[in-house]
Amino acid sequence: MLLPMLRKECTLILRDKHSLAALFIMPFCFILIMSMALKDTMSSERALLNYSVVDLDDSAESKTLQRFMASSKLLAKVDPSEQDTNHLAIQISKGFGEKLLEIEQETPLIQLRVAPDVKQEMVHIFRAKLTADIMTLRLLRVQEEIAPLLPSATPLPDASDFEKEQLLDVQYTSRQSSEQPSATQQSVPSWIVFGMFFIIIPMSTIFIGERKQNTLMRLASMNVSTTTLFAGKVLPYIFINQLQVLLMITAGVFVVPLLGGDPLTPGHSFSALILVSLALSIAAIGTSMCIATIASTVEQATTIGGLLNILFGAIGGVMVPKTYMPHAMQTFSNVSPMSWGLEGFLDIFLRGYGVDEVIPEITALCCFGISLLLLAAFIFNRHTAVE
Amino acid sequence: MISVTKLCKQYNSSYALKDVSLTVAKGTILGLLGPNGAGKTTLVSILNGLVPYQQGEITVFGLGLDNNLKEIRSRSAFIPQSFAFYEKLTVMENLQFFAAIQQISGVKLHQSLEKAITTNRLQSILNQRANTLSGGQKQRLNIGIGLLNDPELLYLDEPTAGVDPELRHTILDSIIDLKEEGKTIIYTSHYMQEIEQICDEAAIIDQGQIISHTPLDTLLQQGDSAASLESVYLSLTARGKR
Repeated sequence: MLLPMLRKECTLILRDKHSLAALFIMPFCFILIMSMALKDTMSSERALLNYSVVDLDDSAESKTLQRFMASSKLLAKVDPSEQDTNHLAIQISKGFGEKLLEIEQETPLIQLRVAPDVKQEMVHIFRAKLTADIMTLRLLRVQEEIAPLLPSATPLPDASDFEKEQLLDVQYTSRQSSEQPSATQQSVPSWIVFGMFFIIIPMSTIFIGERKQNTLMRLASMNVSTTTLFAGKVLPYIFINQLQVLLMITAGVFVVPLLGGDPLTPGHSFSALILVSLALSIAAIGTSMCIATIASTVEQATTIGGLLNILFGAIGGVMVPKTYMPHAMQTFSNVSPMSWGLEGFLDIFLRGYGVDEVIPEITALCCFGISLLLLAAFIFNRHTAVE
Repeated sequence: MISVTKLCKQYNSSYALKDVSLTVAKGTILGLLGPNGAGKTTLVSILNGLVPYQQGEITVFGLGLDNNLKEIRSRSAFIPQSFAFYEKLTVMENLQFFAAIQQISGVKLHQSLEKAITTNRLQSILNQRANTLSGGQKQRLNIGIGLLNDPELLYLDEPTAGVDPELRHTILDSIIDLKEEGKTIIYTSHYMQEIEQICDEAAIIDQGQIISHTPLDTLLQQGDSAASLESVYLSLTARGKR
């Protein structure tokens, strides 16, 4: 009895072009677009800020300062006339070189102008860099002045040498030494999770259609139990969800690099990936069945489903990564099942974790999904009294 | 074939069915008449085990409904008024699906499909998706699905609602053919003429109670000399006086 139910459900989905587009094409496009749009945000090669310099001093010191600043990969110097791309403008005051070692300045040595769209943390980074360069410049001047007194003293290194020095070794947790997380690594899990919850729409549309047309009543009169009916819904959609995951990982691994983006590395634990994917599927299907049994019309179901999907996504860190959220919002985001699924995928893709580390997420997703499925079955039985 | 004794069904505090008693003999076509909301669909749904009831006893094929639901369902068929099939499947796929659901296979599957197709003239539309069919073709498919398990007892809920006169005639002929095969049919309809044409007995249900259940001839004699079923129905349900 279950086999024809599965075959029927699959045929109905395959013949629904809109659902197929929502389930496969939409998340696929999201992955391509978001991976490309955010391509450079996690790259250390890209300049974070553009700045221009107006040098009123035109001294050896002001030129050295500019050389120091030019050595940073985080900053890109642009012409002052390029207003559109100019984030920051610095003006080196006249007398900069002469007053460099003066402790009390009448006027600031440097004037800094900031465009209104520059984030505060960027201004802080820029100020720290500028201050460090001025301090280095002062040290060099001090060195120059005391050098004749200390003929055997070792010369201080040039500030630009700091960039070349191996002062720090940066390693990302649970990743190999040379591996660096990419935008694809962050965006693929987000859109996988979002796409999987889109089954709400075809699932509820088909289910409500069956209920309205009395097809469910007819099936019940043919001895189809609620368990068989629900199994006939759950299993095909688990399969569809797994196809979605496969397609989107394939897009991340093979298609994004073709467009110039960073390839996805799907972690080291295939079993953890399958388990998180299945658990997320159960959560998405539970939500869908609950909406399908509660909603009276297809319009209601698609509206509620769409809204819930967007809310879960917004709260759960799909649209705005959790790391960008304030602490209270990060804590609040844990109410969304999408957040659990996303953390599960990030654990595997980004942090290189295995099954043991993703068990909390799997458990939460399964409990959530199964609870909603039971609730849906209870509501369904109350409404139709199907044996 | 069917025996219902003192059946009560309540929705909250109001009675949908109150002390309904009814017997239907094998091979009978019973016309179930009544105004909208009288309790016809509730009665048919209860007899199919689709709606629970509070009081009363029901036996079908001599078997208690509560304890033998699976067997009773496997020997009967419910054909709802709405087109209870899948619009995106073809006619053949729908027939095959509902046959498979009822675990009809092998030679019996072939015979059942053949009979459902020929009885309802579905040959020319087998590969058409159901959403491309006309209203009449859909109704034929709806009935065809109900015949797949070769039921001994058939519940037909207003099968001619919204169909053209020609198709209505065809459907009624098919029902008479089914009677000739010895099937028992419970037929709900608003069309008195149809009931007069095909039914052996008529039960009139109003406000959850059966106010008349007699052979059709006896019922018609209750009125004046020029009595039609419609005038008898109106007088019994007091609709004519309202």
